Amino acid sequence: MNRWSYVLIRVLQVIPTFFVVMVLVFAAARLLPGDPLTAILGERATEEMVVKAKHELGLDQPLPVQFWIFLKDFFQGNLGDSINLKVPVTRLILERMPVTLFLTLYAAVLAAALAIPLAFVAALRKDTWADNLIRGVFQLGLSMPVFYIGLQLLTLLGARLRWFPVGGYGNTFGEHLYYLFLPALTLGFNLAAILMRNLRASILEVLQAEYVDFARAKGLRPSLILGKHVLRNALISTVTLFGLNIGGLIGGAVITETVFAIPGVGRLMVDSIFGRDYPVIQGLTLTFALLVSLVFILTDVIHAQLDPRVEAA
Amino acid sequence: MAAPALLTVKPRARRRLKPSLVAGLVIIGAFVLMALFPQVIAPYSPTAFDYQAVLQGPTAKHLFGTDNFGRDVFSRVVWGAQLDMQIALFTTLFPFLFGTLIGALTGYYGRWADAIFGRVVDIVVTFPFLVLVIAIVAVLGPGLKNMYIAVSAVGWITYGRLIRAEIRGQKRAEYALAGQVMGYTPARIIFRHLLPNAITPAIVYWMTDMALGILLGSSLGYLGLGAQPPTAEWGVLIADGKNFLATAWWISTFPGLAITLAGVGFSLLGDGLADLLRPRG
Amino acid sequence: MSEPILKLNNLCTVFHTARGRFTAVDGVNLELFPGEVLGLVGESGSGKSVTLRSILRLVRPPGRVSGEVRWRGRNLLSLSEPQMRQVRGGEISMIFQEPMTALNPVLPVGEQIAETLREHTELSGNALRQRAIELLELVGIPSPKERLRDYPHQFSGGMRQRVMIAIALASNPKLLLADEPTTALDVTIQDQILKLLLRLKDTLGMSVILVTHDLGVVAQTCERVAVMYAGRIVEVAPAAELFAQPRHAYTLGLLNSVPGAGSTRRPLIPIPGAPPDLTALPPGCSFAPRCAFATDECTAQRPPLMDISGPESPAVRLTACIHHDALSAAGEVTR
Repeated sequence: MNRWSYVLIRVLQVIPTFFVVMVLVFAAARLLPGDPLTAILGERATEEMVVKAKHELGLDQPLPVQFWIFLKDFFQGNLGDSINLKVPVTRLILERMPVTLFLTLYAAVLAAALAIPLAFVAALRKDTWADNLIRGVFQLGLSMPVFYIGLQLLTLLGARLRWFPVGGYGNTFGEHLYYLFLPALTLGFNLAAILMRNLRASILEVLQAEYVDFARAKGLRPSLILGKHVLRNALISTVTLFGLNIGGLIGGAVITETVFAIPGVGRLMVDSIFGRDYPVIQGLTLTFALLVSLVFILTDVIHAQLDPRVEAA
Repeated sequence: MAAPALLTVKPRARRRLKPSLVAGLVIIGAFVLMALFPQVIAPYSPTAFDYQAVLQGPTAKHLFGTDNFGRDVFSRVVWGAQLDMQIALFTTLFPFLFGTLIGALTGYYGRWADAIFGRVVDIVVTFPFLVLVIAIVAVLGPGLKNMYIAVSAVGWITYGRLIRAEIRGQKRAEYALAGQVMGYTPARIIFRHLLPNAITPAIVYWMTDMALGILLGSSLGYLGLGAQPPTAEWGVLIADGKNFLATAWWISTFPGLAITLAGVGFSLLGDGLADLLRPRG
Repeated sequence: MSEPILKLNNLCTVFHTARGRFTAVDGVNLELFPGEVLGLVGESGSGKSVTLRSILRLVRPPGRVSGEVRWRGRNLLSLSEPQMRQVRGGEISMIFQEPMTALNPVLPVGEQIAETLREHTELSGNALRQRAIELLELVGIPSPKERLRDYPHQFSGGMRQRVMIAIALASNPKLLLADEPTTALDVTIQDQILKLLLRLKDTLGMSVILVTHDLGVVAQTCERVAVMYAGRIVEVAPAAELFAQPRHAYTLGLLNSVPGAGSTRRPLIPIPGAPPDLTALPPGCSFAPRCAFATDECTAQRPPLMDISGPESPAVRLTACIHHDALSAAGEVTR
């Protein structure tokens, strides 16, 4: 068995998991308290209106039939209509998704760009003031709520110093980068802290390995030893951690988009909760779960790329 | 020469209390005191309006200034400790207990219990934690009680994984096998022999988790899905002041510092406990 | 006799740690001649591996190396780091005990050979690849072309050690430092690797310093032997003479504690006691506390390494044992 068939097996494992996820979301929407019909029809709906609405929405069918329709609709990209906005949920999500994806990716890139060099500095200067400063700042950042970091950056760099805009996300790619810098920094900071801590520890561990001594004995330049031999090995565990934390990043996007008034799916989620827009909440929850599953698969692929020994695992 | 001193192995002097543990205890101790006796510590009522003293900066009279209703920010932060310490405890207590139980059982019995647990973990990690909590709160309705339910439904997983891994390691140890040979019941082996040796990482994580609980609670409070205004929850306090950040920075900044300090305190406590509880060879 | 190619003068390697000052290598003087295989033997912790690493300045902090490593007219300890990199892997190569941990697990072996070639030769592209294949062929790896893309974990233990040797030989070094190259291997594989090393030494005209704790390996491969104890060289002699007539009490103990190379069975006599604490060495001979021959003279002051080559032994013999005469008279190796 080679490592790519290992990845294939991981992909196949995701499918039943996602099926159960769909069952759960379906069940939650129908079995938990908080009646969607009341939300749709309002408090003063008559018995007749309720029966009619139930029929239109297919809610008078037996649950298995309802689930079958739910599944079929999902795979046809039909997530129902928004109660408040009266448009298909799929269209809403597709409209809002690019901003959130951009923001999340931007945050992930910023997190890696912060974490990797600083982890090297901290590891190579272990227990010096530089190491303590880097670890202290990140530890402090980990203890701060995302929205608090966002608000302070927004006030200081946006409103007071006017270095960055205080809302929106621009029209061109360059503008996106500029407008979303503070939100991405806010969102990525926690992840950067988690990655830095892990990477620092694994760099310290890898530096002890004998292949580092052998690489030095071969006469390789320090930059090559660090950038190739040490980093590649240290990244293996960090990539897995990165994948596991992408979920946290997507969750954080909900808060960040609210703080910075960015019209992405995170903001849509919060708005829908206050508007009791159940079809949108349900669609978003499924979309987020699908996204995370895709990231997990991607993580496995990168992991297999970095570590030739995965087949043994 | 100091040779003789080096040759005789002296028992190490009594282990000093780690500074991180002491610092963590002091910080969290202070917050617990605020939580228990807010009326003693806070100079004003957290909800009393005072239109004579609106949006005042920090002074000796109002240590952290006042908000747009003239409420004393320091008093609100102190009362907030009561709610946020409660959040720290209630978001983590059930996950800790339930997760430990499940982890111990699946770790000890393995096989199908393990397989089921593995599937459940796969499913839960598929949802972004915050999204799942928000979604559950959306269905149940905003408020602290529903937040506790939502977090508890998900949070036990981490403890289960930690304990399971530890128990699986411990199970192979001599004393566990000896227990089986002696004919002890599984319950006795698990709870009297294995668990005390396996629980350290879970206790250490518990401290981190309380910090995470406060972060989550304040985030939901900020979004309006957790504690409801005018309650003095730190996240709600920050949300209250967000429109005044440019003109009256103290309204949001001090509650934010309280959250950060509590987070640092729990982290230090966790580090200190990890050090204290780690078995030494 | 020709000029030595490598000369260690008063080489010291000291580790400053929280628990005290460890003197791992304590004033080592040693010469190595062109084309020679020198064995460096001793128990674990005697400082033999650290001596090897000190030559290439590979000792990790908090270790500090002092003294002189004279290599082809230069003192390696005073070279700049970039100059030193030319020497490492270029003029002097080193192989390690455990190829599984010394080879990078996430890089194909072809890449691990190629990067050394890129550092020390002008080769690139196809020529580089050809040279890598040649090297694998040289160390006896079957179908080398196909194996360039394989990772270390896809090789057997013996084959991995061959890969490491191939990497070490990449730029035709003049000296190979081998740190227990066969300890991790099965006996039959061990034999193959040693034969390979000897053959390569002859074809490439290298000198070799072979660090080992295995006297059988020494007997099989080395022309000359230096015995180390507690960071010091205690005896230097041609291999045959050392085995026939050890002139240091420690060497005698070492020979008596292992099965002889011959077929005759004899009782093994372990050396009593344990190696000394390197943070607190006794003032005189470090071996004195464990030595049956020890007298007050031995503990009074540290005995120097003395030249005892006489008319009966034309090659240089050195020993740091005051009682070397008594040894040669009384202490025959019990075989």
